[in-house]
Amino acid sequence: MGKLTARLEEWKKKPFLLRIGLIMTGISIFFIFVGIFVTPYDPEAMDASSKLAGISFKHIMGCDNFGRDVFSRVLKGSATTLFIATGTIGIGITGGILIGAFAGYFGGVLDELLMRINDAALAFPSVLLALVLISLFGTGKYQIILSMGIAFIPSFARIVRGEFIRYREMDYVQQAKLIGAGSFRIMFVHILPNTFRVLVSSILIGFNNAVLAEAGLSFLGIGVQPPDASLGRMLSEAQAYLFSRPGYALCVGGTLIFIILGFSFSGEGIGRKV
Amino acid sequence: MTLLEIKHLNIEFHDHLIPETVVFDLNLQMEEGEIVGIVGESGSGKTMTALAVAGLLPRHGMKKTGEILFDSRNLLFCDRKVLRTYQGREIAMVFQEPMTSLNPVKKIGWQVEESLKIHTDLSEEERYSRVVQVLQDVELKNPEEIYHKYPHELSGGMRQRVMIAAAIVCNPRLLIADEITTALDVTIQDQIIKLLLKINKATKMGILFISHDLSLIRRICNRVAVMKDGYLVEEGLTDQIYQNPIQEYTKRLIAAVPKCEKISLEEEEV
Repeated sequence: MGKLTARLEEWKKKPFLLRIGLIMTGISIFFIFVGIFVTPYDPEAMDASSKLAGISFKHIMGCDNFGRDVFSRVLKGSATTLFIATGTIGIGITGGILIGAFAGYFGGVLDELLMRINDAALAFPSVLLALVLISLFGTGKYQIILSMGIAFIPSFARIVRGEFIRYREMDYVQQAKLIGAGSFRIMFVHILPNTFRVLVSSILIGFNNAVLAEAGLSFLGIGVQPPDASLGRMLSEAQAYLFSRPGYALCVGGTLIFIILGFSFSGEGIGRKV
Repeated sequence: MTLLEIKHLNIEFHDHLIPETVVFDLNLQMEEGEIVGIVGESGSGKTMTALAVAGLLPRHGMKKTGEILFDSRNLLFCDRKVLRTYQGREIAMVFQEPMTSLNPVKKIGWQVEESLKIHTDLSEEERYSRVVQVLQDVELKNPEEIYHKYPHELSGGMRQRVMIAAAIVCNPRLLIADEITTALDVTIQDQIIKLLLKINKATKMGILFISHDLSLIRRICNRVAVMKDGYLVEEGLTDQIYQNPIQEYTKRLIAAVPKCEKISLEEEEV
């Protein structure tokens, strides 16, 4: 019991934004996780009798134009969106750490070269860059992950580089150099763990951008292809019935906003805490 | 036997429009197991000399000439790979600031062990027992407990002991102590100095002791070199220098050591 109150005290000490964000993220991840295993209806099953049905106890978010249960599809669609965002951030952060670490640690000509290329890539909006890459790789779940991942590398590379430049001159890094540690060891064993604080908050913010970018691409019809559900696709389908049944678009859009706000509150909260 | 020989060392920075020379034609010799002090005011090139010996000078933006001979190998111009086999195993260095010299996200044991991991192929248990042994050698209580602590849990004096432990864990032949007592209070200073003397006696480790504190230098060093503005002003046995300083600067430096007397304002005005 004492442990529980101590936990509660600790929880209360956290910034307000972080608490809200963690709760929201927790709720969305819980629903998405459950949705992988069980949904109220089969998200693909069509029911002609309940086409564009409104919100009711039977269908808590109503039905779409084919009579599919929107709530089940939102669960499935969020899972797809989250999967793509995770993959994107995975590629982005790995590439970003590699490029940023080399540029920041070694400096000099290598830094100039990598960062100018990086700046050029950063000059394009990442969605636009992803569009170009998608036209190269084709559409589909994995192609999107790859293209968006590459498009997200520059922004991470820049953050990591800044951190490495900051830590490069620290006494303990000099000390590591002094005992004969190799450059790779210094970069990835001595410096990298120190950058986690900044990385975590930028990962969460990047996660938001990835969710939005995926939704945007799917909305344009070049993202996730049917029969896969995704929040962006559902929004673009709901657009046609915006006036006859606004509940459809509102439910899907609301879910998207809920997920994004959860992550961005957490990111902000973590950044502010330390 | 000669341990370290610095011959005609010149260090010049070229990263601004006007080149700036920080060390002029420095010659210094050190015997095995000897404690040599370098003393001088801020900006006299003490630390630059130490960094040159440790191989930590930046590779770009500067011009270095002369020789730093260790094992009859010129450390000033040798390959980074060769240099790394010396760093940590033969030459170790302790910095001035114990608060920032330890990595805040790694445990003490891990950091002391690092040198062993890089230079030896001892097994995990052997490394652990060696680290605990070294932590005990630097007179830290409960070494097993400290092994699992993070730097922020230790006081400044304890951290400096940890730094010394990390430096001597591979039994180097040369320890460079760059103002290691400056950031500590006087009682801890005293303990650290005694500790260095003990280590020197036990392992015959040569110590290059850099300080601006003349009384410390006098207590610990066999020989002393006085530096000013990048020049070596005077060099010789400590007692000799203190009793019969030849150069005017050395005399003034020794006279500048504050005595334990109450200073009255009138006296200062005169």
